Amino acid sequence: MNPHSSNSPKASPNQSGLAIGLFLVCLGAMFILAAWWAYDVVKTSTAPQTTPTLAAPTPASNAGRLAQPILSSPQNPTQLDQGSLVYWGICMACHGDRGQGLTNEWRAVYGEDQNCWASRCHSGNHPPDGFIIPRDNLPHAVTGAGSLTTYTTAQQLYDYIVVTMPWWKPGSLTPAKGWAVTAYVLKLNGTLPQGVALDATDASAIKVHNPVPTSQNDQIGEIVLAALLGLVALVLILQANSKRKAVLVGSRQATLSGEPAPARPRPNFLLHLHPPSIPAEQARWSYTLGTGGLAIFLFMVLLVTGILEMFYYIPLPDQATISIQTIARLVPYGGLIRNLHYWGAQALVLVLFIHLLRITWTGAYKKPRRFNYLLGLALLMLTLALDFTGYILRWDQGTSWALVVGTNLIKAIPGLGNQLYEFMVGGAQLGSAALIRFYSWHTFGLTLAMIAGVVWHLFRIRRDGGIAVPPARLRRSEERISRVELVRREMLLMTAAAFALVLLSIFWPAPITPPLTNTSVDLTNARAPWFFLWVQQLLKFGNPFLLGIVVPLLILAILIVIPYLFPKPADSELGRWFPKGGRMVQILIALLTLLLIGLTIWAILPEPG
Amino acid sequence: MNKPSLPRRDFLKMTLDSLLAFGGLLGLAGLIRFLSYKTEPPQPTEFDLGLAETYPLDSVTAIPEVPAVLIHNDSGFSALSLICTHLGCTVQVQSAGFACPCHGSRFNSTGYPIKGPAATPLKKLRVERTSDGKLVLYTN
Repeated sequence: MNPHSSNSPKASPNQSGLAIGLFLVCLGAMFILAAWWAYDVVKTSTAPQTTPTLAAPTPASNAGRLAQPILSSPQNPTQLDQGSLVYWGICMACHGDRGQGLTNEWRAVYGEDQNCWASRCHSGNHPPDGFIIPRDNLPHAVTGAGSLTTYTTAQQLYDYIVVTMPWWKPGSLTPAKGWAVTAYVLKLNGTLPQGVALDATDASAIKVHNPVPTSQNDQIGEIVLAALLGLVALVLILQANSKRKAVLVGSRQATLSGEPAPARPRPNFLLHLHPPSIPAEQARWSYTLGTGGLAIFLFMVLLVTGILEMFYYIPLPDQATISIQTIARLVPYGGLIRNLHYWGAQALVLVLFIHLLRITWTGAYKKPRRFNYLLGLALLMLTLALDFTGYILRWDQGTSWALVVGTNLIKAIPGLGNQLYEFMVGGAQLGSAALIRFYSWHTFGLTLAMIAGVVWHLFRIRRDGGIAVPPARLRRSEERISRVELVRREMLLMTAAAFALVLLSIFWPAPITPPLTNTSVDLTNARAPWFFLWVQQLLKFGNPFLLGIVVPLLILAILIVIPYLFPKPADSELGRWFPKGGRMVQILIALLTLLLIGLTIWAILPEPG
Repeated sequence: MNKPSLPRRDFLKMTLDSLLAFGGLLGLAGLIRFLSYKTEPPQPTEFDLGLAETYPLDSVTAIPEVPAVLIHNDSGFSALSLICTHLGCTVQVQSAGFACPCHGSRFNSTGYPIKGPAATPLKKLRVERTSDGKLVLYTN
């Protein structure tokens, strides 16, 4: 029996019409999505990027130049509204209505201060005695040629303004007003990104002299991506019924007995990577939960998004957080890429944990899969190391203590501790060397090891007979599925996971905090990354070496010896959850899980009193 | 029973392939957009040269930030770009003209090429005087 016969399922004319109609609807949806997205892209890329020139004043409009600015939202003033008011009331007298500085033309328009060098500047908000503007240091222009040249970032401009301005009463601006007027000055220069509420979080990433297009809405493209993924998943689900789960035992036996294999189309590369058929039992969602395939997929997402982030991330202490803010706020789709990377990484740790539970609770660590189980544990350690090093690369106020504690834990190891510390940190204290090392480990060293480990892990899966099920003679059913069906299931899982990941990334941004500065950071809440909260809780109890190094290593040691020292289920029991023969291991893993979860919850409970 | 003009599996395969091809194109466009972001601000095109009085008559002053040279002669202020029109090296100011160190181009005092691979004259740049008596150089 040839499983790949091309007997098409016979459909009635009504079904044909329905099929054509459905296809046209999909085509129409595609074109609408494409048109919407293309329109948005063209609109943002052809928007004028030069600094906007305000209308040249004519004698008739001079009165309008001195009037109070009209707010865009009087009931609920935006930051720019507040900035325009601050500028009008405090800065405009000296810096001009267009930011042109105290030019002769502006002095003529402003009127009452024209002779202020002789009579001292008086006006409603100036000091009662007035003040004299030095003749050789007139208020500078804040827009146009040669202005604001000493400031690269919005943070630097803000720092200068709040400390030295207004000139006749320096330091009198509140931080809120300072940020508002800084945003307004950037707006005058055409360099304020849309929709940004300026404050310390990302002011170091926003450049004073970088013109921005007038609209930056990435969400349209992201929603188009999610919609496309949904459509692909839908088609993959629909394909299920048209590919029968063929019973292939007959053809398999023919090949084994030496007769020529039945003619069938040669597989493409993706199909070739899979065995021609696998027992249907190996591919049950309810058995494997798809965690292995999901982990591979998430790793691929992390590789691609990580490479894209490398185009903009700068591994230097004073530029790291700024470059991440640039990716998250300013680069088109940068926010999506960063969020995919962050959520993909956290999801991978969770999926790997569930995968470990599945392996240990179904007895899949048994011979001949013992070595592959150890490989899997090594991959888990690599993943945690990758997650931790990636976390550190943020180099912002939220992650600084994790780095201090993590590296000092290494120092706590007796004998080797100091040398290991210097190896990890590249010196005697944390600084640029540590950042570069963590960056190299994260993007290259650990990644290469991970790729090698994953390839080896997948090879061993094939060599050990695929996903753990009873051997053929003990199996409950002889059903098999073809490689085409297997690949379809994998693609469906990946598409559905991508859909969920993209939705998560669109609506829930990855965390970031203001950059580290040389001044001490006041942190009332210093938390380890979530997957190490259990270690942080342990460390509250005493000796760091025993609790932070020995206990986690003991847990790892227990995991390592499970396939060698504990009773295992019989071959006939494989392929399902909680086989009787593996009770001791199941209880042990359950206890360890409860311990880790309990410690994690304890770590985030508020301190008593 | 009529045979269908398009079997279901072929229709689904066609739909999937076109969705993937389409998605690939959109993805490529998105990738290009992602990689096109410029992190550095563009070069300034206006340079404030200060008060006109600081440049006496018959002076040739180098302005290295541009790079350009400001010439004050009887017909007023003018400026020449010092970027060699061959492949962009900064030419050196000499007694009676300009010389490029990279491939040997030579220009006379008005920027016209007299020797070497450069074929077009040095670009003339616009100089304007503001109402406050300052000079502004424009490179665009």
